[in-house]
Amino acid sequence: MNPHAPTAANPLREGLSNRQMPQPCSVVIFGASGDLTFRKLIPALYNLAADADLPAATNIIGFARREKTDESWRAELKETTAKSSRSGLNEQIWQTFGSRVYYHPSEFGQAAGYQSLAQRLDTLDTQSATFGNRLFYLSVSPTDYEGILTQLAAAGLNRPRDGAWTRVIVEKPFGTDLASAYALNEAVGRVFREKDTYRIDHYLGKETAQNIMVLRFANSIFEPLWNHRYIDHVQITAAEPLGVEQRGPYYEKSGALRDMVQNHLLQLLCLTAMEPPTDLGADSIRDEKVKVIRSLRPMTPADVARNVVRGQYAAGAIAGKEVPDYRAEDRVSPQSMTETYAALKVSVDNWRWAGVPFYIRVGKRLAKSGTEIAVQFKNAPSVLFNLPDEPLGPNVLVIRIQPDEGISLRIQCKMPGNAIHIEPVKMDFHYGTSFGKASPEAYERLLLDAMSGDATLFARRDEVEGAWRFIDAIEDAWHQTPNPPPLCTYPSGSWGPKEADDLLELEGRAWRRM
Amino acid sequence: MPTTLDTSILGAPVEVGAISKELKKLWDSTGASKSRASLINFAVYSADASGMAGLTQSINEFTRNHACRALLILAQPEATESRVSAWVNAHCHLGRAGAKQVCCEQISFLLEGKACQFIPSIVFANLDSDLPLHFWWQGEFHDPIDEQLWAWVDRLIFDSQSWRDPRRQFALLQASIAAAQSRLTLCDLNWARSLRLRQALAQMFDHPDNAPILEQLEHVEIAHAPGFRSTALLLVGWFAAQLRLTPQSRDGALLFTTGDGREVRFDLVEAAGRSIGRCHLRAGAAGVKVERDAEGDFFHVEVRLADGRLYRHVLPAGSNHTISLLTDEIGHGSRHRVYLKALAATRALF
Repeated sequence: MNPHAPTAANPLREGLSNRQMPQPCSVVIFGASGDLTFRKLIPALYNLAADADLPAATNIIGFARREKTDESWRAELKETTAKSSRSGLNEQIWQTFGSRVYYHPSEFGQAAGYQSLAQRLDTLDTQSATFGNRLFYLSVSPTDYEGILTQLAAAGLNRPRDGAWTRVIVEKPFGTDLASAYALNEAVGRVFREKDTYRIDHYLGKETAQNIMVLRFANSIFEPLWNHRYIDHVQITAAEPLGVEQRGPYYEKSGALRDMVQNHLLQLLCLTAMEPPTDLGADSIRDEKVKVIRSLRPMTPADVARNVVRGQYAAGAIAGKEVPDYRAEDRVSPQSMTETYAALKVSVDNWRWAGVPFYIRVGKRLAKSGTEIAVQFKNAPSVLFNLPDEPLGPNVLVIRIQPDEGISLRIQCKMPGNAIHIEPVKMDFHYGTSFGKASPEAYERLLLDAMSGDATLFARRDEVEGAWRFIDAIEDAWHQTPNPPPLCTYPSGSWGPKEADDLLELEGRAWRRM
Repeated sequence: MPTTLDTSILGAPVEVGAISKELKKLWDSTGASKSRASLINFAVYSADASGMAGLTQSINEFTRNHACRALLILAQPEATESRVSAWVNAHCHLGRAGAKQVCCEQISFLLEGKACQFIPSIVFANLDSDLPLHFWWQGEFHDPIDEQLWAWVDRLIFDSQSWRDPRRQFALLQASIAAAQSRLTLCDLNWARSLRLRQALAQMFDHPDNAPILEQLEHVEIAHAPGFRSTALLLVGWFAAQLRLTPQSRDGALLFTTGDGREVRFDLVEAAGRSIGRCHLRAGAAGVKVERDAEGDFFHVEVRLADGRLYRHVLPAGSNHTISLLTDEIGHGSRHRVYLKALAATRALF
């Protein structure tokens, strides 16, 4: 047991919080000059401080190449936090919070920079009584990971002191394929133990993603129906009207499948398809998610041709404004074969989901923004109310992840009148309507969890590698086979290529209207 | 219709037997830009009918954060004529989700004379079905409290700070709940008032270096505003219950002993300011002092350790406004077992 952990022996804690308490520590952010640090990480830490959720003895150290002082970095952070923080910026809170923020300039590969970091952390430990608890956040390009990790190890910063801990948070992408993910995991694993490695996927920090388990396992009406006997299929959609914006070079290498499906959407699929865990422990939940990943039916090139559609956006209109095609975007190859849209039919080969397809679609420059999981139930038997040529529509349970988080259920209802005329109606729950209070940002929850040693909402190595194994088969079929499936185009502002509609239509289904 | 009260703030007057119909009309008349929402039934009782404007304003504020059906029940037991009057209106706010307004309905009742006995039937007849019932009772409880009503209440909200005789009120409340075999949660806003202070104190003792101050605690000084001695006493009860202190009666002093026989003294000091202005825990030369700043928004915390180390922190103190307390209280949804322990530890001191 960590003797420096906020202990259950604090008798004043009872009844004040039902979560594991974060521990005093130093948070070292590599990539301190980066956009994520300014827009998300520091505002998240500030908001935790403003809500009194951050341990009073917490130091934040930014590590980056650019020459800055503590004061100049603080000033920059203050300005951007005021703009990005969900609660604005309070001068008094900032004074205390900002006084514990430091900047440490160094090249990522420079050993001396890490030695001086170690000394600085020791000094801060003494000053603030953080006991040597350290959380390293790698908010840098994956190409910098190994160099940073090697230097951390060389400086002894990966080894916790007696009774203290050191943890590392790794930002996505966790590799670009199985081989690179494996290499990355090996590199991390040489320096940090798996239990101290936190792979962040901010989708899991979203309130609605966390609510999937509550919906499934805290309501007795859904779980008995949650299987192949009652569910026809599941659709998971992540649509956005935005193009690649300034991320052309990154996106050219990544594409929609790697950028969104390998991580976010497969995580949502796992939460939808997993068995109930034995308890809410991090590994109990992650064990169940890994079982789902292992149950994904691998695809041969022929399966990919049949079950996967890739597309790229052409010129069109978004919100009444003309937008260019993908190949005309900034720093994108005019001959680019990168997919900005992907639709997949995925099979989960286990008892519960036998014969139930999971359709996943993701795309840029689509008509509307929205991420959701739609569980479509089987039709009611064609007796009583159904005319053979006018089947009733199915019941659909929709979990909206963003925006306008909520849950809706479509049911059939008799229209008023003397005749029996049945129409679908929707019961709709909106977080924003029912709860006036805004949810904390995903990064707030995730940072707090990492400080508390709770890895439930972080991806484990076997999850990540399993997901890559599944995705690699598709990527290989697209890029490594002599006759790859075509790259379809779709007009910006549409709902994707017609071939994606055909994917469902062939089986008598259709994408949900969002 | 009462003639001495300006009831315009309560909305449209309606027949008591036609409330559902009038509510339907109300919602039918709103456009598609408005959406009705309700997660709880929120009943508010007051025997001071002149406070209806303030209470309606409070309900309006409350609905910003908690979608509900509000039942405002005003009683005028001294009225000679027995009469029930009703009104309906809606509180609409721009929702977080977008341009749509989120609306909550308020049904108001004025009970006069003998009709004041009709509170249970008024509540039962106008609940939004299947939703929990939170009952905010203003002022003192009177004997007898209706057992059937209490059995339906999920959370009973009150403010013991306003009671003239807290000991009697707590006894009455406990007896009524026991008689009704109710599993309701007691939500004392006087307890909620010290929540942020308790959180600040607890956070200090999350740090293992500070734990010896609690283990060797000798003296606690609590400064409270005039009229907030009961808030301070509940805080004393919290320390006593959580630290397993046993009360010692000696000359009216707040003395307790620890399990190993050490004495811990509590001093309550009246000082201008907001509810609890300062709480200072001492153990020899070490101590934790939490002081609310002049504006009341923050706690300035000073931790002094036996080896001379000194740490200072600033933590949010929250708001002491009744609606903020109420909003936080409903948001937390706690069962308040710790409150019951704190109450048990100090009930005799009120």
